[in-house]
Amino acid sequence: MTDTTQPLLKVRDLKVTFGKGHHEVSAVAGVSFDVYEGETLGLVGESGCGKSTTGKALMRIVEPSSGTIELGGTDLTKLKRGGKQLRNIRTHMQMIFQDPISSLNPRRRVKDIVAEPIDCWKTVTGHDRDVLVSDLLSKVGIDPAVYGNRYARQFSGGQCQRISIARSLAMRPKLLICDEMVSALDVSVQAQILNLLEDLKAEYGLTLLFIAHDLAVVKNVSDRVAVMYLGKICEIGPADALYEAPAHPYTEFLLGAALEADPDSPMHSQVLEGEPPSPMNPPSGCRFRTRCPNATDLCASDEPQPQEIAPGHQVACHFPLSVTRK
Amino acid sequence: MSDVNEKLLVVSDLSTTFATAGGPLPAVANVSFDLNRNETVGIVGESGSGKTVLSRTIMGLQPRTNVTVTGSVLLNGNEMVGAPESFKRGLWGTEVAMVFQDPMTSLNPVMRIGKQIDETLRVRLGMSKPDAKARAIELLELVGIPSPKQRYDAFPGQLSGGMRQRVVIAIALACSPKLLMADEPTTGLDVTIQAQILNLLDELKERLHMSVVLVTHDLGVVATRTSRIIVMYAGRIVEIGSTRDVFTNHRMPYTRALLESSPKVSNASHTRLITIPGRPPNLLKLTEGCSFAPRCAYATDQCHQDRPELRPADQPGHSFACWNPLPVTRGELAS
Repeated sequence: MTDTTQPLLKVRDLKVTFGKGHHEVSAVAGVSFDVYEGETLGLVGESGCGKSTTGKALMRIVEPSSGTIELGGTDLTKLKRGGKQLRNIRTHMQMIFQDPISSLNPRRRVKDIVAEPIDCWKTVTGHDRDVLVSDLLSKVGIDPAVYGNRYARQFSGGQCQRISIARSLAMRPKLLICDEMVSALDVSVQAQILNLLEDLKAEYGLTLLFIAHDLAVVKNVSDRVAVMYLGKICEIGPADALYEAPAHPYTEFLLGAALEADPDSPMHSQVLEGEPPSPMNPPSGCRFRTRCPNATDLCASDEPQPQEIAPGHQVACHFPLSVTRK
Repeated sequence: MSDVNEKLLVVSDLSTTFATAGGPLPAVANVSFDLNRNETVGIVGESGSGKTVLSRTIMGLQPRTNVTVTGSVLLNGNEMVGAPESFKRGLWGTEVAMVFQDPMTSLNPVMRIGKQIDETLRVRLGMSKPDAKARAIELLELVGIPSPKQRYDAFPGQLSGGMRQRVVIAIALACSPKLLMADEPTTGLDVTIQAQILNLLDELKERLHMSVVLVTHDLGVVATRTSRIIVMYAGRIVEIGSTRDVFTNHRMPYTRALLESSPKVSNASHTRLITIPGRPPNLLKLTEGCSFAPRCAYATDQCHQDRPELRPADQPGHSFACWNPLPVTRGELAS
C-alpha cells in the first residue's frame, strides 16, 4: 500500500475570505485535511460550498487569508507571492480545470501547449524535449504525428481535456488537483477520461485531489472522500464506508438526492428542503442546522468539531447518524 | 380520427435539416413516436444527438431561415409542421409549453418575475391586471416559491438557480398546457435542488393532468420518472420502449454503452468504467450505414453499408435499430 504515515499535502485551518467589511464572504471557513501519497481524495459538495476555492487556494491562485498548506514539509503560505520558491514548488502540483476548451489557447499548436512547462523550466531541451512531448501526447491517447501540429481550437472538449492532462504531467508533478474536470463532458467521453486518469495515476505515481459535484464520479475515482458544506468539511472518510453509512445528515441527503440510472432505485423518500444559506451571513453553530431535521439548541449555540467515529472517518456533527442509530 | 384523439402527440417521420456552409446538416432524421395523455416520456442522448432540436421542432420553434422540416407533428390534432406562426402562437401556452435548460437566460433579467408571469396570463388568457397578479402569485405558490407575494416583485438576479427554474416552470404552466416540454430542466442545478425540481414536475403533472417530455443527457433523471424512453443517436431514434425494457432489456449496443459508461453511486470505488471508443459522428459527414457503426464493437460490413431501421423487439412498444442486436437478457434469465 501507500505510505500512510506522512501526508504529501497537509492542510490546516485554511480560510479564504473575499471582500471586506459588509461584503465579506468567507468562501472557505477553516478546512483541515491530509492527502496521503498515492491516494485520491475526493472533495464533493454543491455549488458555493467552497470546493473550487479550496483547490485554487492550495495552488495559491487565490490567496488564503489564514491557515497552512504543507506540501512535502514546505509551508506554501509562507512563500513570497510570485517568488522563485513558490514557482519552484508549483512544478510539483498541477491543476486541471473544468472547461477544457478555455483552458487551452485556441491559437497555439497542441505540441507547443504541452511543451510550455518544459520550455519554461528547461528541464529537457532539443530532441529529448520533442520526444517527451510526443510521449506525453501518446500517453493521453492523442497521436502526436497526426494531431501534434493542429491548433487547440480544432479539438473537441474530451480531446482538449486530454491535452490539458498531458500538459499537467509535463513537469512530472506529485500532486494533481482536478477541479470538475469531467463535468463538461458527455458520459461516454467522461468514462474515457476517468479511466485514463486512473491509468496515469498508477503509471506516474500521482496523488490526486479530485474536486467535483457529481457523487458517482467522485466515488468512482476516490479512496477517501471529503464532503463540504458552506465553506467547511462536514464529513471525511473512506469512500466506500462514507457512501455506505453516511454519518452527517447532509451527506445522507446528498446521497439520497443522487439519481441512479436504474428504474428500480428507490424514489427520493426525503428531499432536502430549502437552499444553502448565504456564506455572507452563515448560521451560528453548525452551518447545516437551518436545513437539518435533527437540529437542536445545541447545534445553534455550539459549532460541532470533527470527531472520529471509525478509523479515518471523521464527522463534524453533534448527533452523527451512524452513532445515534446504533 | 379516434386514434388521433387518443394520443396527445403524434410525431411521424419528422426530419429537421439545417442548411450550413458545410452542406445540409440532418439534426433530426425520420423520427416517429407518439405520446399518451398524462404520460411522461424521456428523450435521452449525448450532445449533438438531436434531442433539443427535436423538442424545439415539436414546439415549432425552429429558426425562420436555413431550415427544412418534413414529416408531421400532430399536437392534439393540430398539425405543427408548416403551420403559420400565428397558428402556432395560438397553441403555445395553452396546448404546449416549454421549460428550457438555462433558467437565467430564459428570463428577462430587467423585468420583475411577477410581470413575466402576468404577461403570459394577460396576453394569452386576456386576464385583467389584478386578476393576472392574483393568478401569478398562485402560480408562484404552486411551484413552491416561499413568500410568493414578496417574490412577485423580485428580479431574476435576486433568485438562486433553483428558484429561477421554478419561475420558468410557473410561466410554462400559466395557461395550463396539455403538454410540457422540459429540455434539460435540471442540468446545471445542484443534486439536492435537482431532486426538488423533478419532484415538483412529477407532482404538477399529476395535479394538472399534463403529459411531459423530459429531454436529458442524464439517464438517472429519466430512470424513475418516465414510463417510456427514447434513445437518440446522431439525429435518429435508435431505441424506444418502456423504461424497464430500455434499462434492462436493451438490444441496441449504444444504449448499453450509454448505461454502462456512467459511474454509479452503488458501485465500489475504482470500478473500471466500460467505455466506447471515439465520439459521436459529425452530422455533416454521415455515412450510408448505421451512425454508431464506427464506434460499435459488434459492427459488421452490413452495418457500415445499410442503415438499420427501427424494428420491434419481443415486448410491445419496444423497438430498436440494429443489425446485430444484443441477446435478450430476459430469455437468458428464464432458462
